[in-house]
Amino acid sequence: MFFSKKKKELEPKVSLDKLQGEIEQEIWDDLTKDLSLTPHLKEEIKKLVKERAREELQKELKDRYAELREEKVEIPPLEEKKKEEVMYPRLSLDIRIQHIILMVSTLILIITGLPIKFHELAWAKFFFSAIGGLQVSRILHRVGAAGLIGIALYHLLFLAFSREGREIFRELLPRPKDVKDLWITLNYLLGRKREKAKFGKFTYIEKFDYWAVYWGMVVMVLSGLILWFLGTALRIFPKFVADIAKEAHSDEALLATSAIIIWHFYNAHLNPEKFPMNRSWLTGRISEKEMEREHFLEWVEIQKQEEIVAEKADEGKVEEQKG
Amino acid sequence: MKKIRIIIYLCFFLISLSVHGLTQELPSNQECRHCHSNPNLKKVLTDGRVISEYVDFDLFYTSVHKKQACVYCHIDATNFPCKNLRKVNCQRCHYKGNLAGAPDLIKYKEYGESVHGRATALGDVKAPMCQDCHGSHYIFDKADTLSRTNKEHIPQTCGACHVNIYSVYKISVHGEALRSKHILAAPSCADCHGEHNIKEHIDPKSKVFLTQVSVTCARCHANMELIKKYDIPVEPVETYRESFHGVAIKFGAKTVANCSSCHEVHAIFKSDDPRSSIYVDNIPKTCGKCHPGASENFAKGKIHINPAKKEAGIIYYVSQFFKYLTLSVMLALIIYIILDLRKKLIVKRKGEE
Repeated sequence: MFFSKKKKELEPKVSLDKLQGEIEQEIWDDLTKDLSLTPHLKEEIKKLVKERAREELQKELKDRYAELREEKVEIPPLEEKKKEEVMYPRLSLDIRIQHIILMVSTLILIITGLPIKFHELAWAKFFFSAIGGLQVSRILHRVGAAGLIGIALYHLLFLAFSREGREIFRELLPRPKDVKDLWITLNYLLGRKREKAKFGKFTYIEKFDYWAVYWGMVVMVLSGLILWFLGTALRIFPKFVADIAKEAHSDEALLATSAIIIWHFYNAHLNPEKFPMNRSWLTGRISEKEMEREHFLEWVEIQKQEEIVAEKADEGKVEEQKG
Repeated sequence: MKKIRIIIYLCFFLISLSVHGLTQELPSNQECRHCHSNPNLKKVLTDGRVISEYVDFDLFYTSVHKKQACVYCHIDATNFPCKNLRKVNCQRCHYKGNLAGAPDLIKYKEYGESVHGRATALGDVKAPMCQDCHGSHYIFDKADTLSRTNKEHIPQTCGACHVNIYSVYKISVHGEALRSKHILAAPSCADCHGEHNIKEHIDPKSKVFLTQVSVTCARCHANMELIKKYDIPVEPVETYRESFHGVAIKFGAKTVANCSSCHEVHAIFKSDDPRSSIYVDNIPKTCGKCHPGASENFAKGKIHINPAKKEAGIIYYVSQFFKYLTLSVMLALIIYIILDLRKKLIVKRKGEE
């Protein structure tokens, strides 16, 4: 039993057919090199060749198995152990905490907000009765809002006053290259070109995600504050401003939620390359494989720098020896 | 033989006497008429009120009870003078399966659970019983314009006790329409409060309970036929339900506006009427009931807004902007994802080959 199992793995059916095809082709080429044949004769010869090839293949296989049986060849295990991959840092702890706060706040806001927008659906009623009433939901929504506004302000300070923040912001600024990358990728996806776009630290997908949050944040926070402090707002603005705020809040909420569910979930979770999820948001690191595939230019840059550092270190050693 | 004759005479005498006695016990309508057709016949009640005891027999003989004798209802009116008669009990005839053929559709159960029925049961002599609304001697079919329960007369019938409310209602847009313009589609008291099943407005079963107000108003104000016929503003109820007020009240908020919070309960007027609570100058005061310090800014903009319609003004354009933004962005993202997945599948297949 043990052996027969191995045998099957060694000679899968696909490769057997392929092998037979190859042998047939070989014999056929040999036979018909300098001949011109009638179609009828061609068919007959083809048949003969097929039989011949099968015979030869069987013979060959028998011989090989006999050899294996005698030698008891050790067969290497099919799955090689994965080598420990080199990991590169991608998200600092600061950024990871910012992302988690943003995520939690947004989830609270979506969960407590959507039932108001879709109040006619049965689950809205179920939700409010489950959570303990509309009032509880409203308070939770404001807790979420406070988290969102807080993290937005913190992020602005982070961008302005930390070195890391300034560097990242510079990298995140949209450039003509992003449009070019998108164009290249679309051509690649449509099969028009074979080359893939090569990305730096941030792909246009990540940049889109980032700036979409900016747009959403401005709309949601401004309109949300008007609705939160309606009395105060109406002392300054006429009522139609509050109506616009309500409409925008409701509509942008749907846009943001759809974007998260469709776009962010695809890129971070459901994409076959990431499934079940891109773990960078927890580990803060990225594998070399992903680095090469998604941030090739950054990867090259890092390697160059490493070489420079290594060279310098070598020079240092040499100098030391000289010294 | 003489003895027998005397006995027979005596029997006749006794029989005629007893027959005479029986008929005497139930006075005929004619007998009642002797006194009660006098317009000046009055009675002083113990509390000092003076009530007329006059009965218009000509009118009575056109009512639904024209074939009934007075004593069928006033069962205690057996002797002259008939003093201290009790209130008539309609249930004597109007019950299910009665042999007199009286209509048995009477809603005693609804009445018994209503605010009026309960008060009566608790001994409140002011609380209305059947005859207080339906009338006593002059009961007509409600389609008859003489009936107290005819739609056009209901406000007066209720107003007999609810005087203050009647005085407000009759000048309101509803009262004007019903009483001056004779528009029978306009609501009388019963259309909002119910007929026999009238409950207090704090009773959750009431048709005017705070969560039920929009349902009650919707019966006319979301009825397209009526809206078109009488040029009533379109979709106020629908837009209210979509507003935060409507959503909040649906999910149990108690301190949120319903229709009558802004439009008033009985003093409802058109928005261009200065008496109206929603007249532009009155809006800050009206909104201020719940939103302290409401300024004239509350009046700058429409109230019942349907963002899907052009009448909503700038709200319509904001809504359209977001609609197309969302659609186009989502479409683009979905197409991108599909292309990406398709390419991955192609690459995977090639790799296998």
